[in-house]
Amino acid sequence: MSYILNRVFSMMLTLFLISAITFAVTNILPGDVAMMIMGTQSNPEALAGLRETLGLNDPLLMQYGRWIGGMLTGDWGSSLVFKEPIAPLLLQKMTASGLLVLFSMTIALACAVPLGVWAAVHANRWQDTAASSTAMLGVSLPDFFWGIMLILLFARGLGWLPSSGFVDPADDLGAAIRHALLPSLALGLGLMAHLTRMTRATMTGILKQEFIRVARAKGLKESTVVWRYGLANAVGPVMTVAGLQVGYLFGSIIVIESLFNYTGMGWLTYQALLNRDIPLIQASVFVIAAVVMLANLLVDLLYAVVDPRIRLS
Amino acid sequence: MKVPAAFRNTKGIVGAVVVLTVLAVAILAPLLIPADWATRMDMRARLSAPTWAHPLGTDQLGRDLMFRVLLGAQTSIFIASAAVLMSIVIGLPLGLVSGYMGKTTDNVLMRLVDTLLSFPALLLALTISAVLGPNLQNTIIAIGIAFTPFLARIIRGEALRVAQMPYVEAARTAGNSDLRLITLHILPNIMPVVIVQATISLAFAILAEAGLSFLGLGTQPPDASWGLMIQASRDYLDRAPWTALVPGAAVALTVLGLNMFGDALRDALDPRTRGEA
Repeated sequence: MSYILNRVFSMMLTLFLISAITFAVTNILPGDVAMMIMGTQSNPEALAGLRETLGLNDPLLMQYGRWIGGMLTGDWGSSLVFKEPIAPLLLQKMTASGLLVLFSMTIALACAVPLGVWAAVHANRWQDTAASSTAMLGVSLPDFFWGIMLILLFARGLGWLPSSGFVDPADDLGAAIRHALLPSLALGLGLMAHLTRMTRATMTGILKQEFIRVARAKGLKESTVVWRYGLANAVGPVMTVAGLQVGYLFGSIIVIESLFNYTGMGWLTYQALLNRDIPLIQASVFVIAAVVMLANLLVDLLYAVVDPRIRLS
Repeated sequence: MKVPAAFRNTKGIVGAVVVLTVLAVAILAPLLIPADWATRMDMRARLSAPTWAHPLGTDQLGRDLMFRVLLGAQTSIFIASAAVLMSIVIGLPLGLVSGYMGKTTDNVLMRLVDTLLSFPALLLALTISAVLGPNLQNTIIAIGIAFTPFLARIIRGEALRVAQMPYVEAARTAGNSDLRLITLHILPNIMPVVIVQATISLAFAILAEAGLSFLGLGTQPPDASWGLMIQASRDYLDRAPWTALVPGAAVALTVLGLNMFGDALRDALDPRTRGEA
């Protein structure tokens, strides 16, 4: 229990630091919110007036206090580009991206684990070379390149799936899934390659251990040895890496959602960055970092569940 | 002799050959190919498929893709190398001091590093690039800063391990100063890990540059980089898929080479995995 309390306290501290870094980075932007609202050609006096009203002449620390106060009380301000309150906007886009994250993680894990185990079981034989080379190629290509290839093949070539756009699952679940499939595949392929490499490395180490030899000596079936004895021990490390990849996924999502015009969190962040929508940049960068941190915390806690040897302390 | 061990397996040799070839292209192409060959427009041969005149085809402005990809190597490699160098220059002292000093210094520094690691590297790079204004120099800074926390974390772990070794203890007892201990006894022993990480980071930096440029927040025209070429190809994919395939293959080949070489190097140099392969 004290471990969890400790983690929560440490999480609050990290969240505070994340907010401070986000605020600091976005405040060195040339030009400010007032300029964004009124445009670069605006009357200097009116601009100065607006700056005063918005409190942009206050010391940075005070501005930060006001911002974080707003974040804590649910007043996240309004987007300058979308002219909408930020909090509901982010929630809606986060749901859209959640679908992509879920799909791509599922695709990646469902392919990577069997492939990695298969490579490890046949270590240093052609099966291993084939699986490892595929994975190596997978990590070497940019996600958006996979995306372009998938569009060319499944959307333009075969015409099976739409090449761009987003449909709300609440409106039409089937269409929502069809629109999410290609971006999820593009995200999932790179991820799969990383996870295959990790599964292979972990399993190779495990299969060399004593208890595996004992299990084989007992006359257990090879499939039982590999899947029940071997994989059970690999789940923890593979899960940790999968958790760490959530951060990677949220980086890639910006590129992939922009490529597929999938209007989720990544697309929104990109629009905010392109248009220098400072309040929206601050909020979305903060939310993404917080989500990544929470995902890692969740993985740490789950680790103790799947591996009883780990006692949280 | 440790280094040649990296060349003892096929993966390491193939990786090294690819990396050296790309490096040679990046250095020699600008010397041997006149710069205007990559910008010369041939409006009659727009989006031409590979022909004898244009072995890798042309882009939407009728520019030769082979020359563009050869000359683009310089930009992509330069940005990636400079960014990795920058992350080492910042991350190395940070990690060394944190790992060696321990206690409060370590706690404070690593808390900061862990926080930075919560930001996806690409998001951090994109934000920095958008804040500073996208151009070649700022792309380097953006990627360099985004990669620093990761490197600092790894170096800190190594420094911590090495600092606890008996020979460091002995050197300390002999009256060596902290600075001397760090520079003469710890640094040389963590260099293998730094070199391995630098090689792998280089691969990621090339991907990051491509990603940034693809979104228009990295290299800007008229500089030609591989990511920028893929971005330009987006509107012509139906008619001329080679406009994306050519620079994409260049990125893939380079990153593949770096990853293969990095893997072999790690097997040979990294004390944590040495002897496992």
